[in-house]
Amino acid sequence: MAYVAIADRDHPMHDPQTWIEKYVWSQDHKVIAIQYGSVAIGVGLVALVLSLLMRMQIGFPDTFSFITPYNYYQFVTMHGMIMVIYLLTALFLGGFGNYLIPLMCGARDMVFPYMNMLSFWVYLLSVIVLLASFFVSGGPTGGGWTLYPPQTVTEGTPGHDYGILLMLLSLAIFIVAFTMGGLNYVTTVLQARCRGMTLMRMPLSVWGIFVATILGLLAFPALLVAAIMMILDRTIGTSFFMPALMSLGELNGTDGGSPILFQHLFWFFGHPEVYIVALPAFGIVSDLLSTHARKNIFGYRMMVWAIVAIGALSFIVWAHHMYVSGMNPYFGFFFATTTLIIAIPTAIKVYNWVLTLWRGDIQLNIPNLFAIGFIFTFVHGGLTGLFLGNVTVDLPLSDTYFVIGHFHMVMGVSPVMVLFGAIYHWFPKITGKMPNEFLGRLHFWMTFLGTYAIYLPMHYIGILGMPRRYYAYGSTDFIPESAHAVNEAITIAAMVVATAQLVFLINVFYSLRKGKQAPDNPWGATTLEWQTPQTPPVHGNWGPKLPVVYRWAYDYSVPGEPKDFIPQNEPPKGHHSLANS
Amino acid sequence: MLTALLIAMLTAITVWWLLIQRLKDKPWTKQGVVPTSQETVTSSAPKVGLWVFLAVVSSLFGLFASAYMMRVGGHGGLASWQPLDEPNVLWINTLVLVLASGAMQVARNRIDRDDLDGGRSYFLGAGVLTLVFLAGQILAWQQARASGNLGPGSPAYAFFVLLTAIHGLHLVGGLWVLGRTSVRLFRGVDASNVVARSRIRTSVQLCTTYWHWLLLIWLGVFALLLST
Repeated sequence: MAYVAIADRDHPMHDPQTWIEKYVWSQDHKVIAIQYGSVAIGVGLVALVLSLLMRMQIGFPDTFSFITPYNYYQFVTMHGMIMVIYLLTALFLGGFGNYLIPLMCGARDMVFPYMNMLSFWVYLLSVIVLLASFFVSGGPTGGGWTLYPPQTVTEGTPGHDYGILLMLLSLAIFIVAFTMGGLNYVTTVLQARCRGMTLMRMPLSVWGIFVATILGLLAFPALLVAAIMMILDRTIGTSFFMPALMSLGELNGTDGGSPILFQHLFWFFGHPEVYIVALPAFGIVSDLLSTHARKNIFGYRMMVWAIVAIGALSFIVWAHHMYVSGMNPYFGFFFATTTLIIAIPTAIKVYNWVLTLWRGDIQLNIPNLFAIGFIFTFVHGGLTGLFLGNVTVDLPLSDTYFVIGHFHMVMGVSPVMVLFGAIYHWFPKITGKMPNEFLGRLHFWMTFLGTYAIYLPMHYIGILGMPRRYYAYGSTDFIPESAHAVNEAITIAAMVVATAQLVFLINVFYSLRKGKQAPDNPWGATTLEWQTPQTPPVHGNWGPKLPVVYRWAYDYSVPGEPKDFIPQNEPPKGHHSLANS
Repeated sequence: MLTALLIAMLTAITVWWLLIQRLKDKPWTKQGVVPTSQETVTSSAPKVGLWVFLAVVSSLFGLFASAYMMRVGGHGGLASWQPLDEPNVLWINTLVLVLASGAMQVARNRIDRDDLDGGRSYFLGAGVLTLVFLAGQILAWQQARASGNLGPGSPAYAFFVLLTAIHGLHLVGGLWVLGRTSVRLFRGVDASNVVARSRIRTSVQLCTTYWHWLLLIWLGVFALLLST
């Protein structure tokens, strides 16, 4: 199998013969990418609805009788977990990783296509197991997306019986799926690049996905360890995480376990997870900005090193999520320092994005609007991270709406802006149709302004001390009436943003049916995926001969050249094309 | 701590690898076909895939070991850590796994020299020894439980069973691949079928690497158990 991805071939090999092989049990990385993307967006819509239900309760308490405290916590938990793992991770790595790595590296497919196919089906199984928890007795778990024991598995917490089991099982299955996919992504980048594609000629999208996959492969085992141990605590009565607990005056039989141990394991996965989502976004947005500003990326080498540095540093900051759990002050100092150090490579990336735009021929088309929007939302989310990274500032702000505002801006809205930008950018290549311009712009402005209307006020009510995770606030002295009015406004904004996502879906389906036929390279991009002989690319991607790469991925507006872009596979003047030799 | 060391090691390997890949290149100044390592390493994709997988497995055991150390170190609730008396059969099991690894290496050496007939009995022998090891581990669970110094709910006993079970499950996965390769080996391959022989050689090489690595992991787990 490994040889398929990297060989010239003058006859078809392993091509799908039947409809089922082509669209269901497909080993083609492009079909698997679309399968991953469709399921991720589908389950993401479920999470979106859950967030609306939460917001309706917070904005208009005592109005909706079907939202009880019990299922409010279930909505919170499922919303968080689905968005972070089953939407963002799956869509960036399973979706864009699958689509872009072989095409951008000049390969025919992933090196282990069968395992790649299994990866998707196992992922789908994990989603089904997760969603099944809505239908079991007690419903899904309501212990919060961090699943902290002992609360999560203790009587009184929603879904403490079957919901939490299905959640943990689903996570374990997801990790198996991710590992199968991740092995493919890493090995394909290392082994199946076409001739001339050195690492330092790879587009930053591939760099971001590549390093994020390595992070995932090393960090997801921590979640697996935690999930296995909690399943055993819940089912056969071990006490890995369960301390001695009194219930109605009697010990409940558990003894000697450590809830803090779970927190360490969870966040050893949880913080790299932020970058598993962020690094592909960083890479993709770099390519979007460069392409649509018609200018080479500023500081390419620095961008690569920053991705690698952020990836390495992300493993030594996890306990900044645990300041309120209590720790040795020296540890607090250590983790605060490492957290702030990450700001350096991250800031380098932000400066480089802005400098890429500087004096560029900026095309304000839909992908670029989302990319530029990302710079705003990411800077805002990142700056509030500097507050929360400091122990003394974090302690009063922890568990308030400030934290919600921060992490939604930095790892909710920002990656989603990139995802939308990426979908609009590669839509012509994936489908062969151009997205509708008006609907796309409407989608952008509603989403961009709407998310600001949601999350910016949250910082203010957070500083007022409004705690998160509350079903209803009642009347308290420290929360002024105006904060309740703000909450109402936030809920209305959330509904507007949710409606905007319908505009996006309408655009996708409308453009698929009625969209203008896309040319092979509508944006004038240099990277290899735009140089395929067919649009959308067919099985095997490249026809009989693999492409040969002669230059880096950012030859835009080169002085003296007739066109404002030079594709990576275009030979220098005076050279013969080796691809045809 | 162990995990931090593991991650540091993996990071160091990654950075070293990036350095040798000439990350200092200025790609915007160079045009034309730069020779890549692609032509020389294409056939090793399965090996690279295996090593990436072994990094994941190592991370998994490193994290289990970290959790174990943290629990021993006193993150508990009311009960303090009560160590387990490791059953003596674990020493015999360790010897059996060393022999399995050795048999695998002999099989690999012979099959690398194209001596498929000479290698296959050692290859199968490695599988049988691994089954003996797994049976021995189950015996060790029973002995640990029967020794009666700790109840089944005790963290030390639970960690002991968990660590050995996860290690055993990885070996079971290896046995499945070993079984498939054995079938091909015993079915015999025509000497002129270079591709099929090459695929068998690669499978045996991958199995050998996997067995050696799981032996190393077991030695680490055993040392960890003995140290507490």
